[in-house]
Amino acid sequence: MLAVNKISKTFKSGDGGIFNAVDNVSFKVKQGVFASIVGPSGSGKTTLLSLLGALDRPSSGSITVDGQDISKFNDHELTNYRARNVGLVFQSYNLIPNLTALENVMLPMEFVGLGKLTREQRARELLNQVGLSGDKQQRKPGKLSGGEQQRVAIARALANKPKIILADEPTGNLDSVNGKNIFNLLHELSKNQKTTVIVITHDISLAGKTDQRFSLTDGKLQKDKDLPRSFR
Amino acid sequence: MNVFSRGIRNAFRNQIRTIAVVGILSLSIGLSLAMLVAHKAVDQKINSVKASAGNTITIAPAGFSNFSQVNNALTTTLLSKVSQLAHVTSLTETLSDRLKTIGSVSASSFGANSTSSSNQTSLTSPVIINADSKRGLRAFTFGGLSGIPSNFSPPITITGTNDPYSLNSNNLSLSGGNFINGNLDNNQAMVSTSMASKNNLRVGSTFTAYNTTLTVTGIFLNNGNQSLGNNIIVSLPTEQSLSGQSGAVTSAIATVDSEDNLASVTTSVKNILGSNADVENAQNIANQTIQPLNSVSSVSMYSLIGAVVAGAVIILMIMIMITRERRREIGVLKAIGASNFKVVTQFVSEAVTFAVLAAVVGIIIGVAAASPITNTLIKNSSASSTSTNFSGGFRTATHFGGTNGPALLSGGRGLGKVRNEISNVKTEVGWSIIGYGFSAAIIIAVAGSSIAAWFIAKVRPAEVMRME
Repeated sequence: MLAVNKISKTFKSGDGGIFNAVDNVSFKVKQGVFASIVGPSGSGKTTLLSLLGALDRPSSGSITVDGQDISKFNDHELTNYRARNVGLVFQSYNLIPNLTALENVMLPMEFVGLGKLTREQRARELLNQVGLSGDKQQRKPGKLSGGEQQRVAIARALANKPKIILADEPTGNLDSVNGKNIFNLLHELSKNQKTTVIVITHDISLAGKTDQRFSLTDGKLQKDKDLPRSFR
Repeated sequence: MNVFSRGIRNAFRNQIRTIAVVGILSLSIGLSLAMLVAHKAVDQKINSVKASAGNTITIAPAGFSNFSQVNNALTTTLLSKVSQLAHVTSLTETLSDRLKTIGSVSASSFGANSTSSSNQTSLTSPVIINADSKRGLRAFTFGGLSGIPSNFSPPITITGTNDPYSLNSNNLSLSGGNFINGNLDNNQAMVSTSMASKNNLRVGSTFTAYNTTLTVTGIFLNNGNQSLGNNIIVSLPTEQSLSGQSGAVTSAIATVDSEDNLASVTTSVKNILGSNADVENAQNIANQTIQPLNSVSSVSMYSLIGAVVAGAVIILMIMIMITRERRREIGVLKAIGASNFKVVTQFVSEAVTFAVLAAVVGIIIGVAAASPITNTLIKNSSASSTSTNFSGGFRTATHFGGTNGPALLSGGRGLGKVRNEISNVKTEVGWSIIGYGFSAAIIIAVAGSSIAAWFIAKVRPAEVMRME
């Protein structure tokens, strides 16, 4: 269970004032739910995702994952938490360019101390699972298509069997067919592996297919009655 | 693949950059090593020269030049006061002159003592001037002549001494006969093996000098040393008598019991002899002589520090450039669970890979360049020192007969031997130097990547999300 309780994140603006990127947001997401966050540019979606992924600390409020308040973790605990509990998928994949697809997937497992053989075996399984098999596993990201790179990124996010996968515009750089495939893949993962998946997307139709939907405007969460009909 | 192998692999991510970085860094390391080798070699030589300088005080008449002393200032009577000083263990006195050979041009033109009108000998010098025209020309420049006479035989040095067992800091050994008694006026002489061979002399043979017949009682080995070979050695009273310079001395060497007493005895000798003599102790002479080496030592030390600092700055700038360029990648690594320590270790591994590669190339450069650089530094330094410190008679004398000239002409001042030593610095690149090179490279790499580590620690993983 992911419980977000009245979190806010403030930044200093250029003119010396204070800017609320996320403003008093609260919601809950049960384990294994496929959720989406929509909102216009600058609405605070990415900042919210950073807070959920323990990449940043909220200015106020708390984020509880299975009873643990991650907003009170120190840097070392946050790093450990990210390594074991969070999988991240980025719009522009963010794979390490001089590592092969297989090595990219093995990387997070190294940070939690798994042995080389275990890492390699699991990485192959994950790549096969996301549909990247054979010699493509030994290719560097530059030799893979956008869709294939995003599959590698998803496999990397799954590497340490995280409780939560956070995806920031995972289909943003893909064509509609590949985008749909990636979206379906994430959906299957949440169902089959009981992994909580929270996706940021601009695509209302894709968001409409998720189990739970949130909309952000100016850092504030919109109530269901304010959402478009197709989105409810 | 672990954090180290990733760091190593990253070092080869951009081959052109790798070559450039290794090239520049290896030059820096190579120069550091060459300077370290030069510094060690020169320091070693300085220490050995100081150690070999001995506990002696050289005394020459004030204004002594070209075998002619001014006003016969230095005498055995005056020097007897020196021999009676506390801590003086022995006093070697010599009187030198140059003898013209029969049929030659005037020996006085080449520095022979002009006080004697009969300074001629029946012997022929074993020195072959025309064998090396360049050497010959150099030899004559000091005499003010501009050409080589066709019938020239160079003047022969005759040295009267109360210590016939050594000459100009060279310990003598005999190939035949016996050493003369340095205190008896008995017209007995020792000649070199070269002189004996040239003039068909044996023990018991006779020759003339100053219109007097001298008997060869010993033949000493000169082992190819032309300067030493051009000598006749007689007792001090014999030379004083033959040359008509009763009681005169052209140089003396006092030996002191300990280096600790050298300075005080030197002062006492100066007080006794006053303005009659130039007095210098061996340590002062050594210190003057090693001045060029001291400057080489300083230059090499500053260059060593400069090269190491340059190396550290190079790797620092490169690592800053690399971390700034890979800021996003660092953020991704931290976002997916890498600790600061892991990321820093990866970048330090990368820097160490650059440094180790550069160290290998740098050591090769250093080994190849150490000797030429050291020799060039010493040559340049010695050249400037020669023109400043050894002006007048010593500068010209340096050219005569090659490197042994000063010893021959200085009447045992000891400069020649020391100067020979400083021009003979040997560079050695041992395992310790190579070890220093590698250690320096690793230290440079770790120090250079420390700022990069600071950059890494500052990168917040949330920035990666915002870069999207």
